[in-house]
Amino acid sequence: MPRIIVLGIESTSHTFGVGIVEYVDGDVRIIANEKDVYRPVKGGIHPREAALHHVNTSYIVLRRALDRAGVSIRDVNAVAVSLGPGLGPCLRVGASLARFLSSYYGKPLIPVNHAVAHVEIGKFLYKFDDPLVIYVSGGNTLIAIQRRGRYRILGETLDLPLGNLLDTFTRETGLAPPYVVDGKHAIDMCAEKGSKFIPLPYTVKGSDLSFSGLLTHALRRARELREGEGLGDICLSLRETAFNMLVEVAERSLVLTGKKQVLLVGGVAANKVLSRKLSVMASMHGAVYAGTPPEYAGDNGAMIAYTGLLGFLHGLTVEPEKAYVRQRWRIDEVDLPWLRG
Amino acid sequence: MVEGLKPVYEGAEAYIYYADVFGRRFIVKHRISKPYRHPLFDKMFRYNRTRIEAKILSELYLSGVRVPAPIMVDLDSYIIVMEYIDGVKLLKVIEGLDDDKLCRYAEDIGRYTGRMHKLHIYHGDLTLGNILVTDRDEVYIIDFGLAGYSMDVEEYAIDIHLLRRSLNAIAPEKINIFMNCFWKGYSGEVPSKMLKDVRERVREIALRGRYVSERLRRKYLRDRYVE
Repeated sequence: MPRIIVLGIESTSHTFGVGIVEYVDGDVRIIANEKDVYRPVKGGIHPREAALHHVNTSYIVLRRALDRAGVSIRDVNAVAVSLGPGLGPCLRVGASLARFLSSYYGKPLIPVNHAVAHVEIGKFLYKFDDPLVIYVSGGNTLIAIQRRGRYRILGETLDLPLGNLLDTFTRETGLAPPYVVDGKHAIDMCAEKGSKFIPLPYTVKGSDLSFSGLLTHALRRARELREGEGLGDICLSLRETAFNMLVEVAERSLVLTGKKQVLLVGGVAANKVLSRKLSVMASMHGAVYAGTPPEYAGDNGAMIAYTGLLGFLHGLTVEPEKAYVRQRWRIDEVDLPWLRG
Repeated sequence: MVEGLKPVYEGAEAYIYYADVFGRRFIVKHRISKPYRHPLFDKMFRYNRTRIEAKILSELYLSGVRVPAPIMVDLDSYIIVMEYIDGVKLLKVIEGLDDDKLCRYAEDIGRYTGRMHKLHIYHGDLTLGNILVTDRDEVYIIDFGLAGYSMDVEEYAIDIHLLRRSLNAIAPEKINIFMNCFWKGYSGEVPSKMLKDVRERVREIALRGRYVSERLRRKYLRDRYVE
């Protein structure tokens, strides 16, 4: 088998990333993973501002990735792009660049679902073949397993994603932005000052979660602090409640499916407190646990390139003129040939 | 009561033990402490869930829904003792079932679920792993750890939504036949107004997840979703 090089472009949300993977004789290596992240000065992600950021940095990030990998765009065998789910204006930046590279240089274009890519890169890093997947980020909170050529969702949030809950709470209480400093979320820094546990709404419906009532209640308690309570106590209780909800449904799904591997992926995978709770839970059921390392937990181009490679090896390509972005492309809508059999 | 014993089954939140007394077998369900939970939280949780589960089990048992009969409860140790059901999880056998048998099971499940909902009780975790079938083709619903009382149609619809999703994960090709038979059993138990409300809400919930493209179009397509 000759050398195959796939370049992957990620631009679903605040991150513009380009990754390059190399495939030689069945061996896969990540040879570049460059990114530039849009950081709002105040408030949350403004889709237009984020898209402008991507436009302004895309060619720089692309150049950096090619240099790091030591390859020219002509050496690349295929271009993969994350077509959704995500923010429309941001997605279009990556899609335009990918369509251009594909048609101008005559490279096959491979459509990649962003959520699938998060899972696949985690499986690749830890050599997992059939894990219970917990995907938690600013835009997603779901638990899935692979079955019959697709990822099937066992449980998910009915309203807010977990990352969004933490971001919104810290933003509304003036703790953020910045949301993450030195790999630590604002909620964790705040929770370190807390010591009391305050009961907050805990909403688990089977293996589904609902965080909206929790957010509303926590914000009210933060505004009207009672005697002897600090914001730290609210942060601690909010985090404990939300994480315990997630761990509980993960545990339920693990027992239901009897999987022997537990994989945490997505931006919130970088959270050490959550990772520790899940690791304890998995070991109680004799399962191996892995949480994606920060470099590959947050959005990145390498995961798109790697998933693109899997697609390329299975002949999944799309004509550039048909490579539309899909803002609401669910993980369980994607047929994945490598999961069959 | 259970110290030193070896559980026969380690569930997500409780351990299950067998107790053999005078030749009859009983189930002892002990809610365990979790190291990943805040200690205060942990106690509150186990107490409340044990109490509600015991209460609901007895009410359903007396109403003729096939559930394990509760024998005794010890709230201070978070323990419920109940009848032992000699059956297998539907989860394990569903793939090998022929359509007739699957339909009969589904209809029974629908009937029990309907009766339960009519009593304003929701199960909270109605999946294929929480349904047992016996040699005599009886269907039992087990594990009421997440169950509760509610007048809200939302909770009833969530039960059915969870059952559907569990089918989708385990045996996606059997969804249609299963759900048709389920609704047949269910509609025999609940008043028609309630049936209509629940069915409508089940459809709505399925469209509520993140990134459901149908959600955008559902206003225009609603008629097409009516089975």
